[in-house]
Amino acid sequence: MGIKKFIESVKESLNLDECEKIGKKKSIKRLMEKLRSRKDILDKVPKKKLDKKEKKELKEELAIISLQIKKGVKILEELN
Amino acid sequence: MLISHNYKSLFAPIIVLLVGGALFLLGLYPDISMILGGIALFLIGMEYMEGGFKAFSGGLLENVLEKFTNNTPKAITTGFLATALVQSSSLISIIVISFLSAELITLTSAVGVIFGSNIGTTTTAWLVSVFGLKIKISVYAMPMIIMGIFIPLFLKENSWKGIASIFIGLGIVFLGIGYMKEGFETLKDGIDLAQYAMGGYAGIFVYVLVGSVATVAIQSSSASMAIIITALATGQIDYANALALAIGANIGTTVTAVLGSLKSNENGKRLAVAHFIFNITTGIIAIVFIYQLAELVDYLALFVGIGIENYTMKLALFHTIFNIIGVLAVSPFISVLVKFLNTLFIPKGTDKGKPKYLDNAVLALPSTALSAIVMETKHLYENAFDIITHGLNLKKSNLLSSMELDEVIRDLDTHKSINIDLFYNRWIKGLYGEIIDFSTKAQVNMSPEYIEELYKLKLANRDIVEAVKDTKHLQKNLLKYTSARNEHIKEQYNDIRKGLAELLRNINTIATTDEEDVIILLLSKAKIHMQRYDIITNGTLDKLIRKGLITNQMATSLMNDSDYAHSISKNLIAMAEVLFIEIGSDLKKLHEDMSISDEDVDNMLEKKG
Repeated sequence: MGIKKFIESVKESLNLDECEKIGKKKSIKRLMEKLRSRKDILDKVPKKKLDKKEKKELKEELAIISLQIKKGVKILEELN
Repeated sequence: MLISHNYKSLFAPIIVLLVGGALFLLGLYPDISMILGGIALFLIGMEYMEGGFKAFSGGLLENVLEKFTNNTPKAITTGFLATALVQSSSLISIIVISFLSAELITLTSAVGVIFGSNIGTTTTAWLVSVFGLKIKISVYAMPMIIMGIFIPLFLKENSWKGIASIFIGLGIVFLGIGYMKEGFETLKDGIDLAQYAMGGYAGIFVYVLVGSVATVAIQSSSASMAIIITALATGQIDYANALALAIGANIGTTVTAVLGSLKSNENGKRLAVAHFIFNITTGIIAIVFIYQLAELVDYLALFVGIGIENYTMKLALFHTIFNIIGVLAVSPFISVLVKFLNTLFIPKGTDKGKPKYLDNAVLALPSTALSAIVMETKHLYENAFDIITHGLNLKKSNLLSSMELDEVIRDLDTHKSINIDLFYNRWIKGLYGEIIDFSTKAQVNMSPEYIEELYKLKLANRDIVEAVKDTKHLQKNLLKYTSARNEHIKEQYNDIRKGLAELLRNINTIATTDEEDVIILLLSKAKIHMQRYDIITNGTLDKLIRKGLITNQMATSLMNDSDYAHSISKNLIAMAEVLFIEIGSDLKKLHEDMSISDEDVDNMLEKKG
C-alpha cells in the first residue's frame, strides 16, 4: 500500500475528511462574523453627513461585503 | 557540527582518500585498511541517512523548527530533539541558516537551536555504544540495506524513498562500525595503541589535540566519536584518554564549522562564530574539570544502571554531560552573544538586484525552499514597487503615508522621466532569472502540492516583471500628458496615476495586515476599480472624442495607455493574491471560493451604472 492510500484509509477510518470540513466551516464562519460586524458599522454611518464621493465609497464597500457574505452563506450550505 | 557547502564539497575527496588509503594498505596493514574502510562506510551511511530524512520529513522538520523556537529553552529543546532524531546537525544547521536568511526565526532562536543541536549530536555516541557495538552486523545491517534497496522498487512515493535511504544509511553505519571494531581488534594483535596511553594533564592535552586533528581531517565529529568508542571498546585506548579525545572531537568540529561557513552568507558566518565560541568554552570547561566530570559520570552511571566497567557507555554519558554543562554555562549569555554576533559580518551596502534569500543549501528542503522563494519574490516586488512608483512620477513616502490620494498625485516626484530599462536591468531582470532558476532546481525535490504552490509563485514573479515592463510603456505619454495644457487629457492621465497609486497603497496594506476581511475587501475593490481603465466600454473615450476635447492622437495614446494600466493592475492583483496570502492560512484555503469573479464585477458595475 502506498503512503497516499494508507493516509486516505486512515483519514477515512478516523473520519478526518469531516474534520477538514469542520475546519473550513469554522474559518468561513469567523470570516463572515468579521464581515458582518464591518457591515453593521458601515450601516450605522450617518449618510447625510457624507459628501458625494464618500457616499459612493460607502455604497461600494457595502455592496462588496454583502456579496462576500452571500458567497460565504452559499459555501456553508454546500458544506452542510 | 555546523557544516555547509564546504563540507559537502569535501565529502567526496575524503571518501576517495579513505578508500584509496584502505586499498593501499590492504596488503601491508589489513587491519588499518579495515578501519579506514569502516570510517568511509560510516560517513557514507550518515550521508544516506541525512538524504533520507530530508525526503521523508517532507517539510515537517522545517515546520517544527520554525514554530517551536520562539524562546531560548524551546529553541534548545527543539534543536536537541531534531538533531537526535535525524542524526545530522549539519542538516539542522542548514535549515536554521536558511530560516535566518528568510527572517523566519531570530538570531537568538537560531543560536538556541545550534546549542541544542550540539547536545543532540551526542546521541550518535549513544547509538554507537548501545546498538552499534552490540548488534551483529550480519544479522541486522545487511537486511536493513537490502530492505532499503527493495523498498523503492515497489513503493515509488518520495517518503518511502526517504525511509529506504534511512534504512540503507543505518545499515551502512552499522557496517562501518563493525569494520572499525574488527579492524581495531585485529590491530591489537600487531600494534597495541594502548601502550601510548598518557596520564595527567600532559596526556589530556595530547589526546585533545589528537581528537581535534582527527575530526578536522575527517570533517565529522560523529565519525570521530565512532572511532573513539570502537577503539575504546577494543581496549586500544584507555578511558581517560578517550575522554580527552571526545573533548578534542568537539573542539575539532569548530574548525569544520568555520570552514563550512566560509562560503555561507553572513547569517551562516554568525552562527559559525556562535558555534565556535560555544564549543571552545565547553572544551575549556571540560578540560579544566575533566576529573570532576569523570567522577560525576561514574556517579550518574551507577544511578542510571551503567556498569562501572562499561567504558563505552560511560564515554557516551561523558560526551552528553559536558555538552549539557556547556549549554548551561553559555545560555545565560545568549543575549550578549547575539549582540556581539550582530556586530559581525555586516554587508557593505546591499545590491537590490542580488538575491537575498536563495541559498542552494536549502534546495533539498521543499518547505524551506518554498519559503525562500516567497521571500525573494517579495524582494522582487519591493524593487518593482520602487520602479513603478518612479515611473508613475509618485513619491514613495507619500504613497506609504495616509496622505489623500489627490495630494499624492499632485506632489510630483520629478519633472524628468527615469530610465526604467536601466532599473529593470539592474533590479529586476537578474533577480527574476535567479528566482526562476532556483525554483526549477527546487522543484525536483517537491511533492505535487508544493509544485502547485511553486507554479503560482512563478506566475506571480512573471506578473511583477510584466507590470514593470508595462510601466515603462506607460511612462512615456504619462509624463507628456500630465504636463500638457489640455486639461482633459491631463485629468485622464492623472486618473490613471491615481488608480495605480490606490492599488499600490492597497497592496501595501494587504501585505502588512493579518485581518482576513480587510484583505478580501481590498482585493475585491481593486478588481472593481480596475474597470476604470476600460475607457471604451465605460464611454469615457466616446465622450472625449464626441465633444472634441482631445485630439485623435491623444485618444489613441489614451486607449493604449489605459490598456497598459489595466494590465499593470491585473498583474499586480494576481501577484498579491498569491504572494500576500500566507501559504497554509485559512484565507488561502477560502480565497478561491470567496474571491469575486469577472461576472460579479460586471454585475456590480451594472448596478452602479
